[in-house]
Amino acid sequence: MNEYKEETTSIKGNWPLIHYRWKSETVKLMANFLEAFKEKKVLGLKCPCCGLVYTPPKPFCRCLCRPEEWVEVSDEGVVTTFTFSGAWSFEGMLEGEGESRIIVGVKLDGADTMFLCMLEGSDPEEVNVGMRVRIRWPEAPEGKIGDMMIVERAT
Amino acid sequence: MQDVAVVGIGLSKHVSKRRDVNIAELVYEAVSAAYEDTGLSPHDIGAVITGNMPAFEGVNLPELWGAGHWGAYNKPLLRITTGGTTGGSVVHGAFYAVASGIFDAVIAIAFEKQSDGDTTMGLNTVALADIAPMLLYGADPTLLISMGGGAIGAVAYQATSYMKSSGCTTHHLDKVAAMCRDNAAKNPYAHLQQPGITPEEVAKTKMMEYPLRFGHCCPATDGACAMIITSGEKAKKITDCPAYIKSCTSCSDEGAVFGLYGGGTANVDPCEQEGCKIAAKKAYELAGIKDPSREIDVAEPYAPFANQLLMFYERLLLCEEGGAPAVLDSGSMYLDGDLPVCPSGGVISTNAIGASAMERVAECAMQIMGKAGEHQVKKEVHNAVAHGWGGALNLIVVAVLGDTPRG
Amino acid sequence: MEKKVAVVGYAQTRYEPDSDASREILVLEVAEGALKSAGITRDDVDTVITANNDYLDGRTISNMRLVEPAGAWLKDESKVEMDGAYAALYAMMRILSGDHDVALVIGVGQASVYATYIPGIMTLDPTFDRERGLLNEVSAAALQARAYMNAYGITEEHIAEVSVKNLRNAALNPLALRQMPDLTTDEVLDSRMLYSPVRELNAFPPSDGACGVVLASADKVPGITGNPAWIRGVGFSHDSYLTERPLHKLESLKLAAESAYAMADIADPKEEIGLAEIHENFAHEELMAYEALGFCGQGKGGELMQSGATRIDGELPVNPSGGALSANAACAVGLARITEATMQVRGEAGERQVQGVTTALAHGQTGPCAQENIVFILGGE
Repeated sequence: MNEYKEETTSIKGNWPLIHYRWKSETVKLMANFLEAFKEKKVLGLKCPCCGLVYTPPKPFCRCLCRPEEWVEVSDEGVVTTFTFSGAWSFEGMLEGEGESRIIVGVKLDGADTMFLCMLEGSDPEEVNVGMRVRIRWPEAPEGKIGDMMIVERAT
Repeated sequence: MQDVAVVGIGLSKHVSKRRDVNIAELVYEAVSAAYEDTGLSPHDIGAVITGNMPAFEGVNLPELWGAGHWGAYNKPLLRITTGGTTGGSVVHGAFYAVASGIFDAVIAIAFEKQSDGDTTMGLNTVALADIAPMLLYGADPTLLISMGGGAIGAVAYQATSYMKSSGCTTHHLDKVAAMCRDNAAKNPYAHLQQPGITPEEVAKTKMMEYPLRFGHCCPATDGACAMIITSGEKAKKITDCPAYIKSCTSCSDEGAVFGLYGGGTANVDPCEQEGCKIAAKKAYELAGIKDPSREIDVAEPYAPFANQLLMFYERLLLCEEGGAPAVLDSGSMYLDGDLPVCPSGGVISTNAIGASAMERVAECAMQIMGKAGEHQVKKEVHNAVAHGWGGALNLIVVAVLGDTPRG
Repeated sequence: MEKKVAVVGYAQTRYEPDSDASREILVLEVAEGALKSAGITRDDVDTVITANNDYLDGRTISNMRLVEPAGAWLKDESKVEMDGAYAALYAMMRILSGDHDVALVIGVGQASVYATYIPGIMTLDPTFDRERGLLNEVSAAALQARAYMNAYGITEEHIAEVSVKNLRNAALNPLALRQMPDLTTDEVLDSRMLYSPVRELNAFPPSDGACGVVLASADKVPGITGNPAWIRGVGFSHDSYLTERPLHKLESLKLAAESAYAMADIADPKEEIGLAEIHENFAHEELMAYEALGFCGQGKGGELMQSGATRIDGELPVNPSGGALSANAACAVGLARITEATMQVRGEAGERQVQGVTTALAHGQTGPCAQENIVFILGGE
């Protein structure tokens, strides 16, 4: 078989993803979704053909239809999956020191989908699939996606 | 349908950094090995089917520049790329090219030169377009990143929900890793070879992202694989024991987990993997296999992480749901067991992403042809199942191979 | 090839320079449209093949988020990373295998999403050409045009006539992006020079859009339509890298055409083909294609153009739709050529309909200087 040759010359290049301007419909959908946070409400977008409720809203359904009806879903739900992550730095995705975050996947009651958020106020040992959680709303939600990103154990 | 068979396989050496060759040369190693294996030459080949995952090398359509090295000159060529399932999708393309009757012999090529790029950044390019809009809506970037699962990605979520539903423990994960790395030590083309490694040693490795430790994760590999696939008629003239590809199926689910379009129902429980069950069921039906747990002799699921080997064993219908940890404990998955899993060492030992799903098929073919050398399983191999997985947890490819054509 | 696989439905979006819609919604539109055109639902589809490119879409595994909008949820789905006509080829092979009966094929491209020059540069030889910074899709095409002109005495006027023909035809195509019903060769020759001799009106307009077709096996066709466009033949081939091949001819197109003609039992293409939809990213490529496809002798592309034979009212109309010069949505282009050829054969081409077309040719290409080519021959019932 082949012997390894000496190291060859490496030539640098890059793929400048920064130049891409992706489009997403959700700009319009999100405005509505985020506005509801100001009243501490979570909305879902329902598909007229199959009835699935998407939270956050999605402009297309798996059944090849366009979800269009806004419904309210609960701000309480169940954890379907989780992990613990270290503190990450954006540039190199390096695992750093710092507080471990508990990331949970939550399916809110009334929604048919799961979204990822952070669990606060619980010890890692308490976390498990099936645990009930509730969104911990900020005092005065500003209508940003961060408003729904933190949950706590629901008693 | 024209019968389809694998007559030859070529693999390059798989290591973490092939800085001595460029993409075209790396692939040439595998292609020329395949020709040597069969005694054929490009003149005998009707078409070239090729693929890789282009984010790593930073080259768009690398065959435009490189395929001259691979005997593709003036030949029909088709490029298929589907992320982690690429290698399997390329085999599917080759399968249909022959099964359609249009070609009698094709070469399927899949590769990845991960060292040309940055693997973590390359994997991030999968999600960037979905994450970018989230930042517009005021999502905290550090929180978003911490949800990404780091180098592990969304598999961490699959692992925790699987462990809950199946009773799989971290000790099972350690055993899977040890089994695979030990198998890999018998495979000259595997990357991470750790003969005699114990589960206890795996358990001591650094925690990457709960619940997966470094020892439970795949490496980043440079490697290429080529397979020569022909009609059943032609196969008989080339080799005494062709490995017939009885069926190829795929089943794509909703994109899951991250980003704006992560709101699919498929990820409510990321370990459900409905698509895999459907694809496997159809593959067995087409292949005439009624009870895969008895009739499949060897399985090569695509499992870059230890939990996935057990999860996909179940999703490939080789045992009932939740049953894989017990099957592992019974010893049946080991090289000398009743239904060996990843005798090659699997993706957890060697992961040149574009090639990995093809190598699952190649390894099954080698087991059927009796050409797996030191990692040949003890039992006789009549039927095998190869699998690929990837995408936003949503892409699946399955192939069933056997020592006879589809009945 | 006897009647085994046919095109039974199709849809295209309007081609725009900067669509409001996302890539996913463009795909959803043509998936809905193509299924409606065939009169079937998602339940009837066995397999879905999409054509998209990671570097064009700015997303690795560019098909993974297209599963839902392409109607591929829980379906046997795959992707080709080439021009959309190759996706139709793959779908056809799946049907011919007997394991699938109905396929949905979708190609999409959104030039507004990326800086147009980047993806073409990324196909260049990374060890040398990319570093030199001299080549991109357009400069490479310019080199090819010059080689072609020098080899055979083709002039800029000959090439301009292609632009005039196609962009005037485009005015009859409500979906086209660049419609110029009164275009003259002088205007083309006055348009902004990109890389000599390629001028702006000789080059494709980067566009947003998508195209979808439905293919069905012979068993399924009667239940879907009485007016199928049968795929009579297909051929495809890959040429060497652009610095390693003679640029003045399209050898891979010639080989692809030969295979397609053999499969379709066509002995004299100029006589037997009623209409051709050619994927011409640059006007000179169409002239080169005439030669490679056997519509005229080697080097005679300019003459054939001047004879008027390929005008919409000529004996062998080429690109009545306006071709890629009127709209180029990346991976949708070749599929749009198949769609347009299908419409012609079925008599559904509206204002751009050519009368009495029974056999049509559709062509797709991938790679700089038309390195890879695929040819479909479609025939009516």
